[in-house]
Amino acid sequence: MTRHDAPVSGGAKVPGADFSVREFARSANGSHRAALRLDAYADSPLDSDTLAEVALLSRLERSALRYLRSVLVTPTHSDARMTAFLVTWAYEKYWLADALELVVAAHPDQPSSPGGESPGARLRLAWHAVGERFEPIRESVVTNLIGDDVIAVHCVTGALDEWLTQAAYQRLAETTGHEQLRDTLAGLLAVKRRHSAFFTTQARDRLTGSPRAQSLARRRLRRTAVPLGSQDEPARLLSRLLGGWITSADLAAIDRRLDGYPGLAGLRLVARTAERATRRAGRAPAVTGEPTR
Amino acid sequence: MAFDIDQYAETSTEVTWQDLDFDAFDADPLPEVTLRTLRYMCNVEYHTVCYLRDLLVTPSHKERDVNAFMTMWNREEYWHGEALADVLGRHGITVDYDALKASRLKLEWRDKLAPLRQSILGNIVGEDYIAVHMSWGAANEWSAVAAYRRLAALERHPALSPLLQRIAQQETRHVAFYASQARKRLEKSGLARRLTKLALTKAWEPVGTSISEPEDVKHVMSHLFGSEEGLAEIRRIDANIAKLPGMDGLTIVEDALRRRGVAA
Repeated sequence: MTRHDAPVSGGAKVPGADFSVREFARSANGSHRAALRLDAYADSPLDSDTLAEVALLSRLERSALRYLRSVLVTPTHSDARMTAFLVTWAYEKYWLADALELVVAAHPDQPSSPGGESPGARLRLAWHAVGERFEPIRESVVTNLIGDDVIAVHCVTGALDEWLTQAAYQRLAETTGHEQLRDTLAGLLAVKRRHSAFFTTQARDRLTGSPRAQSLARRRLRRTAVPLGSQDEPARLLSRLLGGWITSADLAAIDRRLDGYPGLAGLRLVARTAERATRRAGRAPAVTGEPTR
Repeated sequence: MAFDIDQYAETSTEVTWQDLDFDAFDADPLPEVTLRTLRYMCNVEYHTVCYLRDLLVTPSHKERDVNAFMTMWNREEYWHGEALADVLGRHGITVDYDALKASRLKLEWRDKLAPLRQSILGNIVGEDYIAVHMSWGAANEWSAVAAYRRLAALERHPALSPLLQRIAQQETRHVAFYASQARKRLEKSGLARRLTKLALTKAWEPVGTSISEPEDVKHVMSHLFGSEEGLAEIRRIDANIAKLPGMDGLTIVEDALRRRGVAA
């Protein structure tokens, strides 16, 4: 076999070469349906708060293809190692979302899809929808001028997304009294850990020794929605996610973790994201009948 | 003819070739003409992710079925690339991530502008533009099935031919998706039919043209379709395309070959 992840001959170190993309692709995790044991929810259904969180997490996982779309119009698409990873990542996320959706669907009273927002919030979502249509146009022009450094930003974003969603999975597994949900989440988390392993290795390698990538990341991360897909979600749900389902200790730990990456200290990114979500939710009318866990 | 997307997603899997006797390539190596064609096919398969990007910049990605299909399709094509790269590897031709990156970088601005063009068009035209994608995809996948089957038949190699048949088998499911989507959307809208006919007539080129040197495109087309049998195969593809609503009379594949002086 002559093909490797790392270049055969000498030269600069390939970013993220410590993570074997070939091995990752070869051992991809597909459908989780056989392990879901959905009948467990008939006897012992999840409470409405948990169900709302599972539904939100499924939608966030579903947003992979949307993210892929804005990533692929940038120079990241030329990096065959990145695209090989992203192809499998999108596939695995498809099945993560599928598993969570089926858990929700196993309940007769499912949370309604996001809505019931104030006019202001509805306008914001509509504005996002317009922005989304034209995002690839802007992205392809801007990032093609920037060049390869944008890959570092995409990797940090991927890592942040994983840290946040994994914290949510983890907290949910700890607080739920539902044994089957706990097992399911443990299985899904194992899949997600490989995603964060890739993104963190890539991010660190690409930021190290590149002041340009670092300053680009600092600038762009402030404007990036994490977790991925959160820009399509109502403020009340995001503020629940970032102000309770994920604890403030988790958020602080994630910000500290980001501080450890070359050139990214002091951004307080997720703390700010949480504050923004809380502010926006405060402006939205109170949602009645949403019990806390 | 409805396409069952759930069934497709659940059964979508990477093509396998580990059970095939690749040692057969040591005793019976492939000729240079075939390796050159395989190199082209391998490149096209790995580049699917770049086509995906073109598809996703327009409103099509919003739809659940499209989303599911694109995810699975993209991964299957990646594995076709891996399988073909393994065959090439047996002949001392290395196709690694760095080689792929180098070839993608060679496309430069022409390639960088592709999603921009697509996105502007897609956003102006909206829904009906998806019909163009789906019909285009169907034409490409029909060609891919034909190309793999032709090469399998030409070579009759104990390791290569079964692999190509397996790849072609997966491609037939892609055809089913694209063609059923195209039919559904073309039936609904006169504008979609006019746009699609215009796009296919004016802009369609054989798969891989935009990412390959012209002489490589010509080599592959002559190698696979430059005979009487090849031409018959091409006409079958054109007949399939012409059966899509509003596409009667189109002979885009044969026309593309004639432009290159290939057809027999």
